[in-house]
Amino acid sequence: VVALDGDTKNSTFSELFKKEHPSRFIECYIAEQNMVSVAVGCASRDRNIVFASTFATFFTRAYDQIRMAAISESNINLCGSHCGVSIGEDGPSQMGLEDISLFRAIPNSTVFYPSDAVATEKAVELAANRKGICFIRTSRPENAVIYDSGEDFQVGQAKVVSKSKDDQVTVIGAGVTLHEAIAAAEQLKKDKIFIRVIDPFTIKPLDSETILKNARETKGRIITVEDHYPEGGIGEAVSAALIGEPGIMVRRLAVSHVPRSGKPNELLKLFGIDKDAIIQAVKSVVSKSRNAE
Amino acid sequence: VMADDSTPDANTVQALRDVANRLRIHSIRATCAASSGHPTSCCSAAEIMSVLFFHTMRYKRTDPEHPDNDRFILSKGHAAPILYAAWAEVGNIGESDLLSLRKIHCDLEGHPTPRLPFVDVATGSLGQGLGAACGMAYTGKYFDKASYRVFCLLGDGESSEGSVWEALAFASHYGLDNLVAVFDVNRLGQSGVTPLEHCTDIYQNRCEAFGWNTYLVDGHDVEALCQAFWQAAQVKNKPTAIIAKTFKGRGIPNIENAEHWHGKPMPKERVDAIIKVIESQIQSNRNLTPKPPVEDSPQISIRNVKMTCLPDYVVGDRIATRKAYGLALAKLGHANERVIVLAGDTKNSTFSEIFNEEHPDRFIECFTGEQNMVSVALGCATRGRTIAFVSTFAAFLTRAFDQIRMGAISQTNINFIGSHCGVSIGEDGPSQVALEDLAMFRSIPNCTVFYPSDAISTEYAVYLAANTKGMCFIRTSQTETAVIYTPQENFEIGQAKVIRQSVNDKVTVIGAGVTLHEALAAADSLSQQGISIRVIDPFTIKPLDAANIISSAKATGGQVITVEDHYREGGIGEAVCAAVSGEPDILVQQLAVSEVPQCGTPSELLDKFGISARHIIAAVKNTLMS
Repeated sequence: VVALDGDTKNSTFSELFKKEHPSRFIECYIAEQNMVSVAVGCASRDRNIVFASTFATFFTRAYDQIRMAAISESNINLCGSHCGVSIGEDGPSQMGLEDISLFRAIPNSTVFYPSDAVATEKAVELAANRKGICFIRTSRPENAVIYDSGEDFQVGQAKVVSKSKDDQVTVIGAGVTLHEAIAAAEQLKKDKIFIRVIDPFTIKPLDSETILKNARETKGRIITVEDHYPEGGIGEAVSAALIGEPGIMVRRLAVSHVPRSGKPNELLKLFGIDKDAIIQAVKSVVSKSRNAE
Repeated sequence: VMADDSTPDANTVQALRDVANRLRIHSIRATCAASSGHPTSCCSAAEIMSVLFFHTMRYKRTDPEHPDNDRFILSKGHAAPILYAAWAEVGNIGESDLLSLRKIHCDLEGHPTPRLPFVDVATGSLGQGLGAACGMAYTGKYFDKASYRVFCLLGDGESSEGSVWEALAFASHYGLDNLVAVFDVNRLGQSGVTPLEHCTDIYQNRCEAFGWNTYLVDGHDVEALCQAFWQAAQVKNKPTAIIAKTFKGRGIPNIENAEHWHGKPMPKERVDAIIKVIESQIQSNRNLTPKPPVEDSPQISIRNVKMTCLPDYVVGDRIATRKAYGLALAKLGHANERVIVLAGDTKNSTFSEIFNEEHPDRFIECFTGEQNMVSVALGCATRGRTIAFVSTFAAFLTRAFDQIRMGAISQTNINFIGSHCGVSIGEDGPSQVALEDLAMFRSIPNCTVFYPSDAISTEYAVYLAANTKGMCFIRTSQTETAVIYTPQENFEIGQAKVIRQSVNDKVTVIGAGVTLHEALAAADSLSQQGISIRVIDPFTIKPLDAANIISSAKATGGQVITVEDHYREGGIGEAVCAAVSGEPDILVQQLAVSEVPQCGTPSELLDKFGISARHIIAAVKNTLMS
């Protein structure tokens, strides 16, 4: 196993690998195109299991190299940190808002979006053993560990993290927005509104079976919420996966325009992907259906 | 240029030193108030900024966007606080406003964006500023033929980016002697030392090898900087690089030149003492006034570019949309003299060569350097000086995704043509094939995505793009297709065309480019079997004409089939699914390319990858059976 980074090792935390395995860490400096190409070269002829990391958004710098890596049938693993508006004050130049779309459009890729430390560790293990390009999207803010260390994780297997027999809407979030959804579920209980919360774990492949099953149990109502632009992300993945099924409606919450600097929680609120936005969307979907009935 | 510009008097020198220290103090205070930011990166650049803003550059301080002004790009965008500090010293920003750095209500963001009038292009993703500076310099020298000069401040860490070297090659190739690049060589990157540390002679050798007039200076020596900038202005036909040896955190005791201080504000318990030390160096309160610019840039207009005459095609003509684009672009060049075209050594394939033939002085060959080409276009389009069209193979625009992404944050209006989309290009194979470009451009905020299906709609797309704010992307095809519209047809952004319909339509089929023609062929074949389908040409994939699609879907029993020469993710299919996902009873079947393609003839590949007329017919019949 070798690790590469583009002068962000103290932010992506690949520095921890460097400390323990300094001879297997390659500092590529601020040159992401070359870092990806070097990674592909290191992984050729199966000489290494390669992990390359930088801020998620800087993989856009190497999109042509990633595209060609898929044509090269490479097995490199890429980790992009600092996804979304939730990075806060550094502002949009540093925010990953199109990376889920970027990696989903790569043939044979796997897109992991783990929501806590346990899931992240499992994602790393799965990626190391999986063919094709794997992308792991990580977040800057701290959040709670929600899974037991013995929890089993598989590619293409979502987790239902909150469930009751009275659930009215299925809410799908990941990373920071999964935690916002969980918080929303808690608060909605006070209004006697119950929601099912799903953690997709991998956006590609998407566990459409689990999502569909739970959607059917919540009157076909799905809300997706992502710290990402609307196009090509979780919302579009879910809509596309279920569009052959009658009676399913998907409402998508996402970052709708170029963001700005601010505190993380202020930005989540401003861009309509925080707990309150989820609550509002749930209430709106429920009342709309009630009116329709 | 006055003689004292090269050697200012002692009072001026001291005043410039004092400004530098005030800039340091502002940067330290602002990042402390924000509890985040990059004060040490600001401190290494303080003398450079002071000399540029208060001695070298010529600009109207009350009108930062004026076209006559010298331009400045902070390529090392994380040093934003010192840029804001400079404009506060100029008088455009209140000193107390600096303390709102990075706050949600304040336009003084963590990295500069053009929400601020003195920021032309957003920076923060490193290595992109010099390419934009090249575009500004090229425009100043060859289009505006004006006296303004362009200055770009880069970090040494960011010089690892290949895009910097693409820009360096471009600038010397085109003799941009109105361009100065300053390298703030402070030895320390984000997570460790830079590869070359303080080996400034290596930077000098590299810049000289790239054809630049290069000076090595002590980056904290105000007099040396004044001298270097003055000398740069005397040099003809070569751009100038100033390699400035500096120290990160300069002026801050125990932090200057120390590792582990990148991106860290000064600790609250130490900041007052630090500021006191820097303040004690300041000898006067003398205010310096920036020099006014030479006023010789031409008055121009890039608004309301009108089609001079209708497109010259007849229904049934066969012509590739890439060729129609080339002809339309050359025609547009006659309609407005500020239309410019950039190409990446593909002009004979994208047909931008036709523009080059008719308007050679407005065509910029960028060679095989797509990242730089996009940055140059961005620079050319700043301050509304040009209407820029960038052309290459759609697949190679992926090389510049970060530049395109930053273009949106820069609120640019540049236009892209990506040709050779999809498997239908045929024998060249997957490396040349664009199958993710619709996903890429759809994910760009405020980007219009045109996918015209014939020559007429392509020409309208070109004119619409020239007149539309935000970036525009036009996807063109390599193969010949039939003209299906008349020259008088009206095209609007976000307006689809229903090109086949009847009261008995069983399914709505949405295609674009080659797949629209496959859909028409499928419609013909099906009608002979007594099955009629509605065929929609979306014209723009973003914004998508959701209303039209939904009403057509409802008129055809909720049955929709999308078919695209693109991967499944992020393209037409997903755009349509997203548009109709609020309607419970609309079902969409998505035909798309589902794996890495290979070589073959265009028709073989369309069929092998499931997007030919045959597959559309099968999908329609499948829908009718279920």
